[in-house]
Order: sequence, then structure tokens, then C-alpha cells
Amino acid sequence: MMKIKKYKIVSSTNALAKKLRKTQPWQVLLTEKQTVGHGREKRSWFSPKGGLYFSIILPKSKIEDLQTLTILAAFIVAKIIKDNFNLEPFIKLPNDVWVNGKKICGILTENVIGKDVKFSVMGIGLNTNIDRFPGELKDIATSLKIELGKEVDNGKILNQIIKHLKKQLATISE
Amino acid sequence: MKLILKIKDKEYAVEIIEEENGVKIKVDGKEFAFGEEEGEEKILAFRTSLPKRDFSKKEIKTPIAGTISEVFVENGEFVKKNQRVLTLSSMKMENEIVSDFEGKVKGVLVKKGKDVKEGDILIILG
Repeated sequence: MMKIKKYKIVSSTNALAKKLRKTQPWQVLLTEKQTVGHGREKRSWFSPKGGLYFSIILPKSKIEDLQTLTILAAFIVAKIIKDNFNLEPFIKLPNDVWVNGKKICGILTENVIGKDVKFSVMGIGLNTNIDRFPGELKDIATSLKIELGKEVDNGKILNQIIKHLKKQLATISE
Repeated sequence: MKLILKIKDKEYAVEIIEEENGVKIKVDGKEFAFGEEEGEEKILAFRTSLPKRDFSKKEIKTPIAGTISEVFVENGEFVKKNQRVLTLSSMKMENEIVSDFEGKVKGVLVKKGKDVKEGDILIILG
């Protein structure tokens, strides 16, 4: 059973997760829009309504396993795009997915570490039902809707991503 | 002086007896004598001293290689337990390093942009 907390608008789901902190493993924070969506080194992530933006609280794991899981997350998203929509995604390591030479998904795992890992959250931004990108992003970003010419089911994609991530983490932490 | 030495899982009964001409060591009943005249035949033993650690110093180390993206504390500042001291960006993740101790910052060994490897000391608290 998936635990999803839904929001209309947040600054960033990763930032919210770090603030809440006491949430359960595999809790998902899902939002319709982010005002300060970001990737690594605070690079901004365009997050208007229509896209799929969520963070997953990860179970306490070894730091190496979290690293592996982050790379695997890009493979999982790419596979879901390929299997569901017959597109040819390209994984730009470490954690972006591209379609037709443009970025479609970004993944950012953030950890709080003391003597061991105290808290981990993985944020995923997937451009699903975005009609168009503004000027400077037009040439470097795309969405499933732009590529397919039709809307996709965000809920179904979210379920698939979580299911595969759980399975992969169980395998690598064995 | 009698003592029990435990090496891995095996215990040895060791007795050290000081005599006029030197030292006699008994290990599990076997005697080894070390006199001045035997100086030429000293047995080379492994040094078994423990690595020196200064327990008054509390070191914050990085568990992961990466690049320092921001440092939040400076020398002389008092840091509380679980306080964020810096952020470190690794190839795939952003990591907030928090202090496991409380204390005054005695040394900040890194700055923004520095590459660190796993186990490197980042900050020393006193």
C-alpha cells in the first residue's frame, strides 16, 4: 500500500521532505507544482502544473546502496518510458533521462549524514503533461506530451516507479 | 607481573619476572629469558602499540567522496549535536553533513570547491 501525501503547490518536494523529516520510509510527497524545484547544485527545475514531481522518503540504507539506487532510478524511469510509450530514452549519467536529445527527467537524492545515514530522500521530476517550455528551455527540455502528442497518466507512472524502486533497493541491499 | 594476553580468540598466560641479570618472560609455562649478554640475539617483535588517538578532539569525517559545496561553520563557533556543518555534492547525490558531537570548532579543514575522499577529516571540534 502506497502512502502518498498530495500537495497543490510546494517550494520543492525534497525541501519539504527534509523539513518534515519524521515521515515513514516509502512515504511519497507529490505536488502539482513546485516554485523552487531544483536539481544538483541548486540548478532550477521548471515545474509547472502537468508534470510529475514527487519525493520518496527512502529507508535508512548504506550510502553506497543509495548511490546505486539513484543510478538505478534513471534506468527505471527510462524503462517505464520505453515500455509504456515506445520512445527511445537515453540515460545521461548519473541521473537524467533524455528523449530525442532533450531532457525529460531529473533525479536528485539528498542525504543527511552524521556517523551514519540519518535521512534520505529521492526527488524525481518527470516532464509528463507539459505543453511547452519557455524560451531558454525550449531547445533542451521536452515532455511526454510533446513527444507523444497526447496526455499520459501521472498516477500510473508514479506507481510503476515506486514499485520498481522498492524492488531494486531490496535487491541491492541484500 | 602476570597478565592474560588475548590475540584474536586465543588467550595466553604471560608472566614477566624481573631478575638481576635481565627479564624472564613465561608464556603458557614456556620460559624466555632476556639477559644483558643476550643483547646480540634480541628477538624482533612486532610493535603492538595502538594507533595514537587524541580523544579530546572530535573529528567530523566524510563517509563519501565528493566536492564541498558549502561550509556553514567557522573557527571558534560552538556546534550543537546534529547541527548541519557543511554540504557535499557527490556525483549522484547532495549530502548534508551533520555533527555527531557538540563542541567548539577547532579547525575547518575544507572549503567550498575542495574535493574530498572517503574518510577525510572535514572539521575538528574541541
